[in-house]
Amino acid sequence: MGEGASIVGLGMTELGRVYGRSPRRLAADAVRRAVADAGLSLPDLDGLLVSHGMGGSPGIELADSLGLRDLRLLTQMNAFGATAGAMVAYAAMSVLSGAATTVACVFADAPLKPRQSAGSAYHRDAPEWYGFGGMTAALGFRSVNAFYALAARRHMERYGTTSEQLGAIAVSTRRWAAMNPLAQMRDPITVEDHQNSRWVAEPLHLLDCCLVSNGAIAVVVTGADRARDLAQPPVHLWGWGQGHPGHRRERGSEFGLRTGAATSGPVAMKMAGVTPDDIDVCQLYDCYTYTVLVSLEDYGFCGKGEGGAFAASGALGPGGSLPTNTGGGQLSGYYMWGMTPLSEAVIQGRGQGGERQADRNDLILVSGNGGILDHHSTLILSPHAKGT
Amino acid sequence: MDIGILRRDGRTDPFFDGAAADRLVVRRCVPCDRWFAPDQGDCPGCGSTGLEWARASGTATLVAWTVTHAKPREDGAVPPPAYLALVELPEGPWLHARLDGVDPASLREGLPLRAAFEHPAEGESYVLFRPAS
Repeated sequence: MGEGASIVGLGMTELGRVYGRSPRRLAADAVRRAVADAGLSLPDLDGLLVSHGMGGSPGIELADSLGLRDLRLLTQMNAFGATAGAMVAYAAMSVLSGAATTVACVFADAPLKPRQSAGSAYHRDAPEWYGFGGMTAALGFRSVNAFYALAARRHMERYGTTSEQLGAIAVSTRRWAAMNPLAQMRDPITVEDHQNSRWVAEPLHLLDCCLVSNGAIAVVVTGADRARDLAQPPVHLWGWGQGHPGHRRERGSEFGLRTGAATSGPVAMKMAGVTPDDIDVCQLYDCYTYTVLVSLEDYGFCGKGEGGAFAASGALGPGGSLPTNTGGGQLSGYYMWGMTPLSEAVIQGRGQGGERQADRNDLILVSGNGGILDHHSTLILSPHAKGT
Repeated sequence: MDIGILRRDGRTDPFFDGAAADRLVVRRCVPCDRWFAPDQGDCPGCGSTGLEWARASGTATLVAWTVTHAKPREDGAVPPPAYLALVELPEGPWLHARLDGVDPASLREGLPLRAAFEHPAEGESYVLFRPAS
Protein backbone atom coordinates (compact mmCIF):
# COMPACT_ATOMS: atom_id res chain seq x y z
CA MET A 1 0.00 0.00 0.00
CA GLY A 2 3.03 2.25 -0.13
CA GLU A 3 1.68 4.00 -3.17
CA GLY A 4 -1.17 5.70 -1.36
CA ALA A 5 -4.92 5.74 -1.50
CA SER A 6 -7.31 6.58 -4.29
CA ILE A 7 -10.96 7.37 -4.96
CA VAL A 8 -12.16 4.72 -7.38
CA GLY A 9 -15.93 4.95 -7.24
CA LEU A 10 -18.51 7.75 -7.29
CA GLY A 11 -22.23 7.17 -6.80
CA MET A 12 -24.86 9.88 -6.93
CA THR A 13 -28.61 9.49 -6.57
CA GLU A 14 -31.07 11.86 -8.19
CA LEU A 15 -30.54 15.19 -6.44
CA GLY A 16 -32.88 18.05 -5.57
CA ARG A 17 -36.60 17.78 -4.99
CA VAL A 18 -36.44 14.00 -4.73
CA TYR A 19 -39.20 12.74 -2.45
CA GLY A 20 -40.33 9.43 -1.06
CA ARG A 21 -36.97 7.97 -0.10
CA SER A 22 -35.53 8.10 3.43
CA PRO A 23 -31.91 9.13 3.99
CA ARG A 24 -31.06 5.44 4.51
CA ARG A 25 -32.62 4.41 1.20
CA LEU A 26 -30.85 7.26 -0.56
CA ALA A 27 -27.55 6.36 1.10
CA ALA A 28 -27.91 2.71 0.12
CA ASP A 29 -28.60 3.69 -3.48
CA ALA A 30 -25.54 5.94 -3.58
CA VAL A 31 -23.25 3.26 -2.13
CA ARG A 32 -24.52 0.68 -4.65
CA ARG A 33 -23.90 3.11 -7.48
CA ALA A 34 -20.43 4.01 -6.23
CA VAL A 35 -19.43 0.36 -5.92
CA ALA A 36 -20.80 -0.44 -9.39
CA ASP A 37 -19.08 2.65 -10.81
CA ALA A 38 -15.76 1.31 -9.50
CA GLY A 39 -16.37 -2.07 -11.12
CA LEU A 40 -16.63 -3.68 -7.70
CA SER A 41 -19.45 -5.48 -5.92
CA LEU A 42 -20.81 -4.86 -2.43
CA PRO A 43 -18.93 -7.81 -0.79
CA ASP A 44 -15.69 -6.10 -1.84
CA LEU A 45 -16.37 -3.40 0.76
CA ASP A 46 -14.78 -3.96 4.15
CA GLY A 47 -15.36 -0.43 5.43
CA LEU A 48 -18.29 1.97 5.53
CA LEU A 49 -18.33 5.56 6.81
CA VAL A 50 -21.69 7.28 7.14
CA SER A 51 -22.66 10.95 7.50
CA HIS A 52 -25.87 12.90 7.38
CA GLY A 53 -27.43 16.33 7.08
CA MET A 54 -30.61 17.80 8.53
CA GLY A 55 -33.14 15.23 7.40
CA GLY A 56 -32.22 12.33 9.67
CA SER A 57 -29.31 9.92 9.68
CA PRO A 58 -28.90 6.76 7.61
CA GLY A 59 -27.14 5.40 10.69
CA ILE A 60 -24.60 2.63 10.78
CA GLU A 61 -27.59 0.32 10.30
CA LEU A 62 -26.96 1.17 6.66
CA ALA A 63 -24.48 -1.71 6.68
CA ASP A 64 -27.36 -4.09 7.43
CA SER A 65 -29.55 -2.51 4.78
CA LEU A 66 -26.82 -3.18 2.25
CA GLY A 67 -26.21 -6.71 3.57
CA LEU A 68 -22.57 -5.96 4.28
CA ARG A 69 -20.85 -8.61 6.38
CA ASP A 70 -17.56 -8.87 8.22
CA LEU A 71 -16.75 -5.18 7.91
CA ARG A 72 -13.47 -4.08 9.48
CA LEU A 73 -14.47 -0.43 9.65
CA LEU A 74 -17.91 1.02 10.35
CA THR A 75 -18.77 4.34 11.96
CA GLN A 76 -20.80 7.49 11.65
CA MET A 77 -18.80 10.71 11.39
CA ASN A 78 -19.82 14.31 11.90
CA ALA A 79 -17.87 17.50 11.44
CA PHE A 80 -20.87 19.09 9.69
CA GLY A 81 -19.85 20.43 6.28
CA ALA A 82 -16.27 19.29 6.82
CA THR A 83 -17.32 15.65 7.16
CA ALA A 84 -16.83 14.48 3.58
CA GLY A 85 -13.16 15.46 3.64
CA ALA A 86 -12.74 13.95 7.09
CA MET A 87 -14.34 10.67 5.96
CA VAL A 88 -12.12 10.38 2.91
CA ALA A 89 -9.03 11.10 5.01
CA TYR A 90 -10.04 8.47 7.56
CA ALA A 91 -10.74 6.00 4.78
CA ALA A 92 -7.32 6.71 3.26
CA MET A 93 -5.57 6.27 6.60
CA SER A 94 -7.43 3.01 7.14
CA VAL A 95 -6.33 1.73 3.75
CA LEU A 96 -2.73 2.87 4.26
CA SER A 97 -2.53 1.26 7.70
CA GLY A 98 -4.04 -2.00 6.52
CA ALA A 99 -7.04 -1.67 8.81
CA ALA A 100 -9.31 -1.95 5.78
CA THR A 101 -8.86 -2.31 2.03
CA THR A 102 -11.96 -0.83 0.41
CA VAL A 103 -14.04 1.80 2.17
CA ALA A 104 -17.26 3.51 1.07
CA CYS A 105 -17.99 7.01 2.40
CA VAL A 106 -21.56 8.24 2.05
CA PHE A 107 -23.60 11.34 2.79
CA ALA A 108 -27.39 11.38 2.56
CA ASP A 109 -29.98 14.00 3.36
CA ALA A 110 -33.67 14.59 2.78
CA PRO A 111 -34.58 17.89 4.46
CA LEU A 112 -36.96 19.00 1.69
CA LYS A 113 -40.61 18.14 1.97
CA PRO A 114 -43.22 18.51 -0.78
CA ARG A 115 -44.88 21.95 -0.92
CA GLN A 116 -42.32 23.45 1.46
CA SER A 117 -39.88 26.23 0.63
CA ALA A 118 -36.20 25.32 0.51
CA GLY A 119 -35.34 27.89 3.17
CA SER A 120 -37.85 26.50 5.66
CA ALA A 121 -35.88 23.26 5.81
CA TYR A 122 -33.16 25.16 7.68
CA HIS A 123 -35.42 27.60 9.56
CA ARG A 124 -36.46 27.40 13.21
CA ASP A 125 -39.79 28.62 14.49
CA ALA A 126 -41.59 28.01 17.77
CA PRO A 127 -44.27 29.66 19.91
CA GLU A 128 -42.03 29.48 22.98
CA TRP A 129 -38.25 29.43 23.34
CA TYR A 130 -36.21 27.86 26.11
CA GLY A 131 -32.84 28.83 27.53
CA PHE A 132 -30.03 30.82 25.96
CA GLY A 133 -30.12 28.99 22.64
CA GLY A 134 -33.84 29.59 22.44
CA MET A 135 -33.37 33.24 23.32
CA THR A 136 -30.90 33.79 20.48
CA ALA A 137 -33.32 32.17 18.04
CA ALA A 138 -36.23 34.14 19.49
CA LEU A 139 -34.37 37.42 18.98
CA GLY A 140 -34.18 36.62 15.27
CA PHE A 141 -31.35 34.17 14.64
CA ARG A 142 -33.72 31.61 13.16
CA SER A 143 -31.37 30.12 10.56
CA VAL A 144 -27.69 30.03 9.69
CA ASN A 145 -28.23 32.83 7.16
CA ALA A 146 -28.01 35.51 9.86
CA PHE A 147 -24.78 34.14 11.32
CA TYR A 148 -23.05 33.98 7.93
CA ALA A 149 -24.38 37.46 7.16
CA LEU A 150 -22.55 38.75 10.26
CA ALA A 151 -19.37 37.04 9.08
CA ALA A 152 -19.69 38.54 5.60
CA ARG A 153 -20.45 41.97 7.03
CA ARG A 154 -17.35 41.83 9.20
CA HIS A 155 -15.23 41.01 6.18
CA MET A 156 -16.79 43.91 4.29
CA GLU A 157 -16.21 46.37 7.12
CA ARG A 158 -12.61 45.28 7.60
CA TYR A 159 -11.47 44.84 4.01
CA GLY A 160 -13.94 46.79 1.88
CA THR A 161 -15.36 43.68 0.26
CA THR A 162 -18.50 44.54 -1.73
CA SER A 163 -21.76 42.81 -2.54
CA GLU A 164 -20.92 43.08 -6.24
CA GLN A 165 -17.73 41.10 -5.59
CA LEU A 166 -19.79 38.41 -3.91
CA GLY A 167 -22.07 38.59 -6.94
CA ALA A 168 -19.12 37.80 -9.19
CA ILE A 169 -18.86 34.45 -7.41
CA ALA A 170 -22.57 33.74 -7.91
CA VAL A 171 -22.18 34.58 -11.62
CA SER A 172 -19.04 32.53 -12.28
CA THR A 173 -20.51 29.56 -10.42
CA ARG A 174 -23.71 29.74 -12.48
CA ARG A 175 -21.65 29.86 -15.69
CA TRP A 176 -20.15 26.51 -14.72
CA ALA A 177 -23.55 25.13 -13.70
CA ALA A 178 -24.92 25.90 -17.15
CA MET A 179 -22.56 23.19 -18.44
CA ASN A 180 -23.50 20.58 -15.82
CA PRO A 181 -26.58 18.45 -16.60
CA LEU A 182 -26.82 17.58 -12.88
CA ALA A 183 -27.04 21.20 -11.73
CA GLN A 184 -30.36 22.41 -10.35
CA MET A 185 -29.96 26.06 -11.45
CA ARG A 186 -28.61 26.45 -14.99
CA ASP A 187 -30.04 29.70 -16.36
CA PRO A 188 -27.34 32.36 -16.78
CA ILE A 189 -27.31 35.25 -14.29
CA THR A 190 -25.56 38.61 -14.17
CA VAL A 191 -24.21 40.65 -11.28
CA GLU A 192 -27.28 42.86 -11.82
CA ASP A 193 -29.52 39.81 -11.29
CA HIS A 194 -27.59 39.12 -8.12
CA GLN A 195 -28.04 42.68 -6.91
CA ASN A 196 -31.76 42.57 -7.71
CA SER A 197 -32.38 39.24 -6.00
CA ARG A 198 -34.23 39.71 -2.73
CA TRP A 199 -32.41 40.22 0.53
CA VAL A 200 -32.23 37.18 2.76
CA ALA A 201 -29.98 38.57 5.47
CA GLU A 202 -28.13 41.73 4.47
CA PRO A 203 -25.47 41.80 3.09
CA LEU A 204 -26.51 38.45 1.61
CA HIS A 205 -28.94 38.37 -1.28
CA LEU A 206 -30.85 35.25 -2.28
CA LEU A 207 -28.23 34.57 -4.96
CA ASP A 208 -25.50 34.55 -2.29
CA CYS A 209 -27.11 31.49 -0.68
CA CYS A 210 -26.87 27.84 -1.56
CA LEU A 211 -29.65 25.52 -2.62
CA VAL A 212 -31.24 22.84 -0.46
CA SER A 213 -31.33 19.34 -1.94
CA ASN A 214 -32.44 15.83 -1.14
CA GLY A 215 -30.24 12.96 -2.25
CA ALA A 216 -27.08 11.04 -1.47
CA ILE A 217 -23.52 10.78 -2.76
CA ALA A 218 -20.93 8.10 -2.01
CA VAL A 219 -17.31 7.53 -2.93
CA VAL A 220 -15.17 4.40 -2.65
CA VAL A 221 -11.56 4.62 -1.43
CA THR A 222 -8.99 1.86 -1.90
CA GLY A 223 -5.24 1.42 -2.28
CA ALA A 224 -3.56 3.04 -5.29
CA ASP A 225 -2.10 -0.31 -6.41
CA ARG A 226 -5.56 -1.86 -6.59
CA ALA A 227 -7.09 1.26 -8.10
CA ARG A 228 -5.26 0.80 -11.39
CA ASP A 229 -7.18 -2.37 -12.22
CA LEU A 230 -10.66 -0.99 -11.61
CA ALA A 231 -13.28 0.42 -13.95
CA GLN A 232 -12.63 4.16 -13.61
CA PRO A 233 -9.54 6.33 -13.85
CA PRO A 234 -8.36 6.57 -10.23
CA VAL A 235 -8.23 9.91 -8.45
CA HIS A 236 -5.34 9.79 -6.04
CA LEU A 237 -5.24 11.38 -2.59
CA TRP A 238 -2.13 13.47 -2.17
CA GLY A 239 -2.96 15.26 1.03
CA TRP A 240 -5.59 16.02 3.61
CA GLY A 241 -6.04 18.35 6.56
CA GLN A 242 -8.50 19.82 8.99
CA GLY A 243 -8.82 23.12 10.81
CA HIS A 244 -11.13 23.95 13.71
CA PRO A 245 -10.37 27.50 14.83
CA GLY A 246 -12.58 27.59 17.91
CA HIS A 247 -13.60 31.19 17.36
CA ARG A 248 -14.07 32.98 20.66
CA ARG A 249 -17.00 35.30 21.11
CA GLU A 250 -14.97 38.11 22.59
CA ARG A 251 -12.77 41.06 21.76
CA GLY A 252 -10.07 40.19 19.25
CA SER A 253 -11.93 37.27 17.67
CA GLU A 254 -11.12 36.59 14.02
CA PHE A 255 -14.68 35.40 13.30
CA GLY A 256 -15.56 36.31 9.73
CA LEU A 257 -12.02 37.34 8.91
CA ARG A 258 -10.08 34.07 9.03
CA THR A 259 -11.33 30.48 8.83
CA GLY A 260 -10.08 26.96 9.49
CA ALA A 261 -8.80 26.86 5.90
CA ALA A 262 -5.78 28.81 7.15
CA THR A 263 -4.80 25.71 9.15
CA SER A 264 -6.31 22.94 7.06
CA GLY A 265 -4.88 24.17 3.75
CA PRO A 266 -1.20 24.31 4.73
CA VAL A 267 -1.45 20.89 6.44
CA ALA A 268 -2.93 19.30 3.32
CA MET A 269 -0.61 21.08 0.91
CA LYS A 270 2.48 20.22 2.93
CA MET A 271 1.44 16.57 2.96
CA ALA A 272 0.96 16.72 -0.80
CA GLY A 273 4.21 18.62 -1.32
CA VAL A 274 2.50 21.43 -3.22
CA THR A 275 1.77 25.14 -2.90
CA PRO A 276 -1.27 27.20 -3.88
CA ASP A 277 0.47 28.08 -7.15
CA ASP A 278 0.43 24.39 -8.11
CA ILE A 279 -3.35 23.98 -7.77
CA ASP A 280 -5.18 23.83 -11.10
CA VAL A 281 -8.80 23.55 -9.99
CA CYS A 282 -10.65 24.38 -6.75
CA GLN A 283 -13.84 22.83 -5.47
CA LEU A 284 -14.69 25.04 -2.50
CA TYR A 285 -17.54 24.61 -0.07
CA ASP A 286 -19.95 27.38 -1.11
CA CYS A 287 -22.83 27.48 1.33
CA TYR A 288 -22.58 31.21 0.61
CA THR A 289 -20.61 33.22 -1.94
CA TYR A 290 -18.75 34.73 1.00
CA THR A 291 -17.50 31.31 2.10
CA VAL A 292 -15.71 30.91 -1.23
CA LEU A 293 -14.19 34.38 -0.97
CA VAL A 294 -12.77 33.94 2.52
CA SER A 295 -11.58 30.39 1.75
CA LEU A 296 -9.62 31.62 -1.29
CA GLU A 297 -7.82 34.08 0.97
CA ASP A 298 -7.11 31.58 3.74
CA TYR A 299 -5.72 29.03 1.27
CA GLY A 300 -3.36 31.68 -0.06
CA PHE A 301 -4.75 31.97 -3.59
CA CYS A 302 -4.78 35.71 -2.96
CA GLY A 303 -3.83 37.98 -0.09
CA LYS A 304 -6.01 38.53 2.99
CA GLY A 305 -8.66 41.04 2.10
CA GLU A 306 -8.11 40.60 -1.64
CA GLY A 307 -10.68 37.84 -2.18
CA GLY A 308 -13.25 40.25 -3.54
CA ALA A 309 -10.97 41.71 -6.19
CA PHE A 310 -9.72 38.23 -7.07
CA ALA A 311 -13.28 36.95 -7.60
CA ALA A 312 -14.27 40.04 -9.58
CA SER A 313 -11.27 39.55 -11.89
CA GLY A 314 -12.98 36.56 -13.49
CA ALA A 315 -10.35 34.13 -12.23
CA LEU A 316 -12.91 31.61 -10.96
CA GLY A 317 -15.09 31.16 -14.03
CA PRO A 318 -14.69 29.28 -17.31
CA GLY A 319 -11.44 30.40 -18.93
CA GLY A 320 -10.18 31.91 -15.68
CA SER A 321 -6.83 31.24 -14.05
CA LEU A 322 -8.32 29.22 -11.16
CA PRO A 323 -11.43 27.30 -12.29
CA THR A 324 -13.53 27.04 -9.14
CA ASN A 325 -16.70 25.08 -8.43
CA THR A 326 -16.81 23.77 -11.97
CA GLY A 327 -20.03 21.85 -11.42
CA GLY A 328 -21.97 24.82 -10.14
CA GLY A 329 -21.15 24.17 -6.51
CA GLN A 330 -23.80 24.34 -3.84
CA LEU A 331 -24.95 27.74 -5.07
CA SER A 332 -26.20 26.48 -8.43
CA GLY A 333 -25.48 22.76 -8.63
CA TYR A 334 -26.72 20.67 -5.73
CA TYR A 335 -26.37 20.88 -1.95
CA MET A 336 -24.92 17.66 -0.60
CA TRP A 337 -22.77 19.37 2.04
CA GLY A 338 -19.10 18.36 1.57
CA MET A 339 -19.98 15.81 -1.08
CA THR A 340 -20.81 18.61 -3.53
CA PRO A 341 -17.22 19.81 -3.94
CA LEU A 342 -15.83 16.28 -3.56
CA SER A 343 -18.03 14.75 -6.27
CA GLU A 344 -17.14 17.42 -8.80
CA ALA A 345 -13.46 17.03 -7.91
CA VAL A 346 -13.67 13.32 -8.72
CA ILE A 347 -15.39 14.09 -12.03
CA GLN A 348 -12.73 16.66 -12.92
CA GLY A 349 -9.91 14.41 -11.75
CA ARG A 350 -11.13 11.68 -14.07
CA GLY A 351 -11.38 14.10 -16.95
CA GLN A 352 -15.10 13.39 -17.22
CA GLY A 353 -16.32 16.98 -16.96
CA GLY A 354 -17.44 17.06 -20.58
CA GLU A 355 -18.13 20.58 -21.76
CA ARG A 356 -17.00 21.98 -18.41
CA GLN A 357 -13.81 19.92 -18.03
CA ALA A 358 -10.99 22.16 -16.84
CA ASP A 359 -8.03 22.41 -19.21
CA ARG A 360 -5.62 21.32 -16.48
CA ASN A 361 -6.58 18.96 -13.67
CA ASP A 362 -3.21 17.81 -12.33
CA LEU A 363 -3.97 19.07 -8.82
CA ILE A 364 -7.43 19.68 -7.44
CA LEU A 365 -8.14 21.25 -4.05
CA VAL A 366 -11.39 20.32 -2.27
CA SER A 367 -12.67 22.12 0.80
CA GLY A 368 -15.31 21.38 3.40
CA ASN A 369 -16.74 23.91 5.84
CA GLY A 370 -19.01 23.23 8.78
CA GLY A 371 -20.96 25.09 11.41
CA ILE A 372 -20.58 28.85 11.32
CA LEU A 373 -17.04 28.68 9.91
CA ASP A 374 -16.20 26.42 12.87
CA HIS A 375 -14.88 23.37 11.01
CA HIS A 376 -12.82 23.00 7.85
CA SER A 377 -11.37 20.13 5.86
CA THR A 378 -9.13 20.00 2.81
CA LEU A 379 -8.26 17.30 0.29
CA ILE A 380 -5.65 17.49 -2.45
CA LEU A 381 -6.51 15.16 -5.34
CA SER A 382 -4.75 14.26 -8.58
CA PRO A 383 -5.20 11.91 -11.53
CA HIS A 384 -1.52 11.06 -11.04
CA ALA A 385 -0.18 8.76 -8.35
CA LYS A 386 1.57 10.73 -5.63
CA GLY A 387 5.22 11.35 -6.31
CA THR A 388 4.93 10.91 -10.07
CA MET B 1 -40.33 39.05 13.14
CA ASP B 2 -42.15 38.37 16.41
CA ILE B 3 -39.80 37.58 19.25
CA GLY B 4 -42.16 35.08 20.82
CA ILE B 5 -42.29 33.94 24.41
CA LEU B 6 -39.05 33.27 26.33
CA ARG B 7 -38.88 30.61 29.04
CA ARG B 8 -36.25 29.67 31.63
CA ASP B 9 -34.52 26.31 31.39
CA GLY B 10 -32.68 25.99 34.72
CA ARG B 11 -29.39 27.55 33.52
CA THR B 12 -30.76 31.00 32.88
CA ASP B 13 -32.27 32.23 36.16
CA PRO B 14 -29.61 34.87 37.05
CA PHE B 15 -29.74 36.26 33.52
CA PHE B 16 -33.51 36.56 33.37
CA ASP B 17 -33.73 37.83 36.97
CA GLY B 18 -31.27 40.52 35.91
CA ALA B 19 -33.19 41.40 32.77
CA ALA B 20 -36.39 41.71 34.80
CA ALA B 21 -34.59 44.33 36.94
CA ASP B 22 -33.04 46.15 33.92
CA ARG B 23 -29.60 44.69 34.54
CA LEU B 24 -27.40 42.97 31.97
CA VAL B 25 -25.98 39.93 33.77
CA VAL B 26 -23.18 37.89 32.18
CA ARG B 27 -20.46 35.46 33.35
CA ARG B 28 -17.09 36.29 34.83
CA CYS B 29 -14.06 34.25 35.84
CA VAL B 30 -12.85 35.88 39.03
CA PRO B 31 -9.25 34.47 39.07
CA CYS B 32 -8.72 35.50 35.43
CA ASP B 33 -10.78 38.71 35.64
CA ARG B 34 -12.21 37.66 32.31
CA TRP B 35 -15.83 38.21 31.27
CA PHE B 36 -17.96 35.96 29.08
CA ALA B 37 -21.34 35.79 27.39
CA PRO B 38 -24.11 34.51 29.69
CA ASP B 39 -24.20 31.06 28.03
CA GLN B 40 -20.48 30.37 28.64
CA GLY B 41 -19.92 27.12 30.55
CA ASP B 42 -16.38 27.07 31.93
CA CYS B 43 -13.43 29.45 31.69
CA PRO B 44 -11.36 28.52 28.61
CA GLY B 45 -8.36 30.27 30.20
CA CYS B 46 -7.97 28.55 33.59
CA GLY B 47 -10.57 25.81 33.29
CA SER B 48 -12.57 27.10 36.23
CA THR B 49 -16.02 25.55 36.37
CA GLY B 50 -17.21 28.19 38.78
CA LEU B 51 -17.88 31.26 36.67
CA GLU B 52 -19.80 33.82 38.67
CA TRP B 53 -22.69 35.90 37.43
CA ALA B 54 -21.75 39.54 37.17
CA ARG B 55 -23.46 42.73 36.15
CA ALA B 56 -22.05 44.29 33.00
CA SER B 57 -22.08 48.03 32.45
CA GLY B 58 -24.80 47.72 29.81
CA THR B 59 -22.93 49.61 27.13
CA ALA B 60 -21.61 47.97 23.97
CA THR B 61 -20.19 48.68 20.55
CA LEU B 62 -21.33 47.25 17.23
CA VAL B 63 -19.08 44.56 15.72
CA ALA B 64 -21.19 43.42 12.76
CA TRP B 65 -24.85 43.49 11.83
CA THR B 66 -27.39 42.02 9.46
CA VAL B 67 -30.90 42.91 8.45
CA THR B 68 -32.92 39.75 7.97
CA HIS B 69 -35.86 39.73 5.60
CA ALA B 70 -38.49 37.03 5.76
CA LYS B 71 -39.94 35.79 2.51
CA PRO B 72 -43.05 37.78 1.46
CA ARG B 73 -46.26 36.04 2.51
CA GLU B 74 -48.73 34.59 0.02
CA ASP B 75 -50.92 37.69 0.26
CA GLY B 76 -47.92 39.81 -0.71
CA ALA B 77 -47.41 41.30 2.74
CA VAL B 78 -43.76 41.75 3.64
CA PRO B 79 -42.88 41.01 7.29
CA PRO B 80 -40.84 43.81 8.91
CA PRO B 81 -37.07 43.27 8.81
CA ALA B 82 -35.10 42.43 11.95
CA TYR B 83 -31.81 44.14 12.81
CA LEU B 84 -29.47 41.56 14.31
CA ALA B 85 -25.91 42.04 15.44
CA LEU B 86 -22.78 40.93 17.15
CA VAL B 87 -22.07 43.46 19.88
CA GLU B 88 -18.97 43.80 22.05
CA LEU B 89 -19.30 44.67 25.73
CA PRO B 90 -16.55 46.90 27.16
CA GLU B 91 -15.83 43.97 29.51
CA GLY B 92 -14.83 41.93 26.43
CA PRO B 93 -17.58 39.44 25.55
CA TRP B 94 -19.51 39.38 22.31
CA LEU B 95 -23.26 38.83 22.34
CA HIS B 96 -25.60 37.85 19.55
CA ALA B 97 -28.14 40.61 19.90
CA ARG B 98 -31.12 42.32 18.37
CA LEU B 99 -30.93 46.03 17.64
CA ASP B 100 -33.80 48.45 18.12
CA GLY B 101 -34.32 52.04 17.05
CA VAL B 102 -31.38 52.15 14.66
CA ASP B 103 -30.99 54.27 11.56
CA PRO B 104 -29.76 51.81 8.91
CA ALA B 105 -27.47 54.43 7.40
CA SER B 106 -25.72 54.97 10.73
CA LEU B 107 -24.67 51.34 11.22
CA ARG B 108 -20.89 50.90 11.31
CA GLU B 109 -18.30 48.92 13.20
CA GLY B 110 -17.76 50.58 16.57
CA LEU B 111 -21.16 52.30 16.82
CA PRO B 112 -21.86 52.92 20.55
CA LEU B 113 -24.89 51.03 21.90
CA ARG B 114 -26.73 50.67 25.16
CA ALA B 115 -28.77 47.76 26.52
CA ALA B 116 -32.52 48.31 26.74
CA PHE B 117 -34.81 45.91 28.56
CA GLU B 118 -38.18 44.71 27.38
CA HIS B 119 -40.75 43.33 29.79
CA PRO B 120 -43.41 41.49 27.81
CA ALA B 121 -46.74 40.60 29.38
CA GLU B 122 -45.96 36.92 29.04
CA GLY B 123 -42.60 35.21 29.33
CA GLU B 124 -39.21 36.45 30.43
CA SER B 125 -37.75 39.91 29.99
CA TYR B 126 -35.08 40.28 27.35
CA VAL B 127 -32.44 42.74 26.21
CA LEU B 128 -32.23 44.76 23.01
CA PHE B 129 -29.44 47.17 22.07
CA ARG B 130 -30.16 50.75 20.99
CA PRO B 131 -27.86 53.53 19.82
CA ALA B 132 -26.22 55.11 22.87
CA SER B 133 -26.74 58.72 21.86
